[in-house]
Amino acid sequence: MANDSSDFGRSMAIATSGLRAQAGRIRVISENIANAESTAQSAGGDPYRRKVPTFSSALDRTLDAQVVTLGKIKPDQSNFRVKYEPNNPAADASGNVKYPNVNSMVEMTDMRDAQRSYEANLNIISATRRMIQRTLDILKT
Amino acid sequence: MSINDLPVLSALRTKMQWHQERQRVLSENVSNSDTPRFRPRDLVEPKFDKAGAVTGSMGPLAMARTSASHMGPSGAQSSFDQNKNAGFETRPAGNAVNLEEEMMKVAANQMDYAAATSLYSKSLHLLKTALGKG
Repeated sequence: MANDSSDFGRSMAIATSGLRAQAGRIRVISENIANAESTAQSAGGDPYRRKVPTFSSALDRTLDAQVVTLGKIKPDQSNFRVKYEPNNPAADASGNVKYPNVNSMVEMTDMRDAQRSYEANLNIISATRRMIQRTLDILKT
Repeated sequence: MSINDLPVLSALRTKMQWHQERQRVLSENVSNSDTPRFRPRDLVEPKFDKAGAVTGSMGPLAMARTSASHMGPSGAQSSFDQNKNAGFETRPAGNAVNLEEEMMKVAANQMDYAAATSLYSKSLHLLKTALGKG
């Protein structure tokens, strides 16, 4: 095989792509949580819409492996929460204010999931590093 | 005959290469743990005959087919093993990666690799002893 020496490097690069994708997912989740109470700028307008990250598996031709990439960040089309707050500047004519369709509980569970996947990828990197170390230890005999 | 041709060393080297490749496949599984419709894979274990030569389907990896219209290599046996327990924990998005199972495999892979490298060093040490320098 021509690329023997870089096989562990490929494992690390694949795990790094996972880390990058999960970090991007956590960024989107934190954006959702931060905007959980953002109302519209104008009266009766639409507030912040929840964003959903997507993942896709792509064949990296330089690595010759299936890496993961953060795909399109899609808007969540579910309904906004509506509260009756006539004094709010964002209220429409009937006194209702639209709040973002962000559910903090859903975001927190999503974040735990992202964190778990991130840690799994980190574990792969440290396991691969230990294996490289074992290979180098052969030289010490 | 060079040192590398010794059966025990060449068998250990093949095993180490297999662990290296398996680590790549497992890391693919873990990094794609949230990709829709991703099925985890594993490598078929190499089998050795008495002389330490590889028998069975261990060989160069099968071509990756990213589309159903791609032609596969004719007659080549796939060296990938489909995860047989994958069915029971497939998420609605079609992803069947079980992180716990993958982490167990990674730990086992790493330990087996450590064992193979230790045996390799011991064999080298044995050679040194035989040469009177150990």
